[in-house]
Amino acid sequence: MANDKTTDDSAQGDSNDANTRVQELIKYVKIKAKPVELTGEIKIPKIKPNSFIDVKPQLLTALEPLERLGYPVGGLVPNWKEVFLKKMDEILKKYRSVKLFLNICVRCGACTDKCHYFIGTADPNNMPVARAELMRKVYRRYFTWQGKLLGSKYVNGSDLSEELLAMWYTYFYQCSECRRCSVFCPYGIDTAEITMAAREILNSVGLVQKYVHEIIDKAQNIGNNLGMQKNAIINALEFVQDELQETTEIPDIRVPIDEEGADVLFVTPSADFFASPHIESLYGYAKVFHQAGISWTMSTHASEGGNFGLFIHNYGHMKKINKRIWEAARQLKVKRVIGGECGHMWRVLSSYSNTMFGPFDWLDSRFPRPQHICEFTLDLLKRGALKIDKTANDEFVVTMHDSCQVARGLEMGGTKYGQFEIPRGVIRGVCNRYEDMPDNTIKERTFCCGAGQGLLGDDMIATRVKGAIPRMQAYSYAKREKGVNFLALICAICKAQLSKMFPTYGIPMEEVGGIHQLVGRAIVLGAKEGI
Amino acid sequence: MTGITFIVNMYMNAIVYVGCAVFALGFIYKVYCEYYKTPQPLKIPQTPQSTNLSGVIMRMAGDVLFFRSLSKGTTFLFITGWIFHFTFLLMIVRHLRYFIHPVPELITALGGAAMLLAGVLLVSLILLVIRRVLDERTAYVTSFADYLVLLVIIGIVFTGMLMRSEVYRPDIIAVNRFVLELFDIRAPLHMLGMHPAVAPGNVVFMCHLSLVCFLLMYFPFSKLMHSAGYFFSPTRNMVNNPRDVRHVNPWDNS
Repeated sequence: MANDKTTDDSAQGDSNDANTRVQELIKYVKIKAKPVELTGEIKIPKIKPNSFIDVKPQLLTALEPLERLGYPVGGLVPNWKEVFLKKMDEILKKYRSVKLFLNICVRCGACTDKCHYFIGTADPNNMPVARAELMRKVYRRYFTWQGKLLGSKYVNGSDLSEELLAMWYTYFYQCSECRRCSVFCPYGIDTAEITMAAREILNSVGLVQKYVHEIIDKAQNIGNNLGMQKNAIINALEFVQDELQETTEIPDIRVPIDEEGADVLFVTPSADFFASPHIESLYGYAKVFHQAGISWTMSTHASEGGNFGLFIHNYGHMKKINKRIWEAARQLKVKRVIGGECGHMWRVLSSYSNTMFGPFDWLDSRFPRPQHICEFTLDLLKRGALKIDKTANDEFVVTMHDSCQVARGLEMGGTKYGQFEIPRGVIRGVCNRYEDMPDNTIKERTFCCGAGQGLLGDDMIATRVKGAIPRMQAYSYAKREKGVNFLALICAICKAQLSKMFPTYGIPMEEVGGIHQLVGRAIVLGAKEGI
Repeated sequence: MTGITFIVNMYMNAIVYVGCAVFALGFIYKVYCEYYKTPQPLKIPQTPQSTNLSGVIMRMAGDVLFFRSLSKGTTFLFITGWIFHFTFLLMIVRHLRYFIHPVPELITALGGAAMLLAGVLLVSLILLVIRRVLDERTAYVTSFADYLVLLVIIGIVFTGMLMRSEVYRPDIIAVNRFVLELFDIRAPLHMLGMHPAVAPGNVVFMCHLSLVCFLLMYFPFSKLMHSAGYFFSPTRNMVNNPRDVRHVNPWDNS
C-alpha cells in the first residue's frame, strides 16, 4: 500500500515526479459549456479533436474516506505501473465481458455517433469505440503475445505513461455507462463494462474520483448517499408525513419508518426524502400504499436504493451497499421488497441482487423477487384497486424519458418489453394525454439524461450541459409537434439532472417530474373500492 | 524435379500445414481458454432480450444471419457488410468442391453464379475500404490492422477471379491432386522425408493459397475472432430472467 504521507520528502524522486505530473495533467479546471439552441433535431457533429480534453472531475483527496474504502491515499502510488497491470490482469481473468469486448471489436464505426456525449461535445474520444480503444491499446500492448513480443508500435498499442492515465481519467469519466452504444453494436459490445473496469483500475493506482466515492463511502458507512444520520432521516420522513396529512386532510396517511412486521420494505433513492421534484414521487408512493391498504415501511438501515458501487465496477462495494437492504428486510420481517423510482438501483436489484444474495424467498415464497414500484402500481391499477381521477392531470400532455439503466437493464414484469410498457401503462392509467418522443430517442434507444453514473457533480457541469443535448432536442421536438409539456421520469439522477438542465435550456423546471408524482395527483384518496 | 520446383513444393506444403495448424490451435485456445474459461460474474443482457432460451437463440440467429443489431444503427455499413459476409460464405462453400467427392449438386449449382458473386464480393470489399477512408468518425479509429484484413481478402478474391481466366487458369486436375495428397495422413511425413506433395505450377494459385494461409495464421490473433466471440457475448447470450433464475458468480464465495 502507499505511504500515507502527502508530502514528497521520500527518496523516491521518480515516483513522486509521476504523481506530480499526473496531478498537473488532471488538474480540475472549472469549465462552463454553453447550451445550444433547441431546434428539435439531433445533429451528428463533425469531429473536433480534444475539444473536451480539459473537462475532468475532481479527485478525492480527503484521507478518511480513501482509507475507509481501501484506496491508496496521497495520489498516484509510486509503483503504479505494477499495480495497474496487476489490477487489469485480475479484471481480465474475472470478467468475460471485459476480456471479450477488448478482444473482438472490429472498429466498424456503428457506435461512433450513438453516444450523447459525442453528439454533445464532438470530441472523437467520446465515440464509444475510441473510448474503449484507450483501454484496448493497453490490452494489446501488455496482454497479447504480439504486444509483449513486438512492443506497442506494431500492435497499435500504448505504453503506460502519465499522459495515458490522464486520458483514461478524462474520458472514462465522460461516459455515463448508459449502454446505448451496445444496442447498435453487431456483437453487443458494452462500453459500460469497459468504463467500469477502467475506473476500477484508476482507483487501484490512486486516482479516485470525488463525487462517486464520497457517496459510496457514505452509503457504506452511514447507509445512504446523502450521509443522513438516522434521526435526520426520521425527521425528514416525519416532515413528509405531516405535509401529506395536511395537504390531503387524511389523518391516517403515513410514511412509516423502521416498522417491524410491515408487508413491504420500500427502498428508494435518498434524494426522494427532500429534493425536488423527487419528493413529489414520495408523496405518490405513500398515497399508493395507503390506498392499496398494504402496510409498508422504509428503513433507516437501508435508507438508500441507489448503489454507486455499480459505477466503478467494484463488486465488493456493490455487494456491501446492497447487503443493507437484505439486513433491513430480515430485521423488519417484511414479506417483500419494492424499489422506488431509481435507474441503477433497479438494475442492481433486478439483475445482480439475486446473484449476490440469492432470491428473497426466505421472506415470503410468494414474493421471491424484489419488485419495481411501477410493477406494483400497474398491478393495482389493473385490478381496479385504486380510484383514479385522470382529469387531475389534464393540464399535462405527458411524455416519458426511459432511463438508461431501466430501459437497457433487465426485465420488468417478466416480459421482454416490460420496462417500456409498464411505466407507460402507469402513466396512461393516470393521465388522459400521453405522447412519445421520436422513436430513435426512446425505449432501448433512449438517450441518457447526460449525468448518469457519477457525472452528476457540479464539477462536471460542462458534460452535463452537452450530454443533455439529445434528450433536450427530442423533448423540444415533442413539445413543438405534439404540445408535450411534462416529462415523466423514473430515475433520481434524471430528475436531478433534467430539473437543472430544463431551465438552462430555457424550459420551465416544472415540466420535469416523476411518474408517481402524476399518480399521486390523480389518486382519489379515501375512496375504497376493489380491494 | 528441379531445385526450384522442390523449394516451391516444400513452401506450398509448409504454409498449408502451418496455416491450418496455427488457425486450429489458436482458434481453440482463444475460444476455450479465453472466452469459455473466463467467468461472467453478473447477468448483463441487453434490451430487447427474451426471457427464455429459445427467444435468446432466435435473437442471436437474427444477429448472426441478418446483422440485426447493426441494421439499427447504420444502413450503408449494414448492407455492404452483410453482402460481403454472405457472398464470402458462398465462395467458401463453393470451394468445398476441391475437398468433397463426389461434388454435391448444390455446390455445382453455385458454379454458374460464381463469377457474379465474386464480383459482388470484390465490390463490397472495395466499398468497405472506401468507407473506412471517407467516414471521418470511422477513419479516426481505423488502424493499419483494419486495412490489412480488408486488403488481404481483396487479394484473395482478386487472385481467385484471375484464375478463372484462360491465361492464368491452373490445371484443375493438378489442384485436385495436390489437395488430395495434402489430405493424406502420411503427407507430413513425406514432406519431412523431402517428398512434398506436388503443387500446381501456377504463380497466381501460389499467391492465392499464400494469402489464404496468411489469413488463417492471422485469424486467431486478430479482430477476426469476432466470428466466434459473438457467441460468448454476455449482452447477447444471457437469458433475461435474473429475478427468476439465480445466476451464480463462480468467484464470489463470501
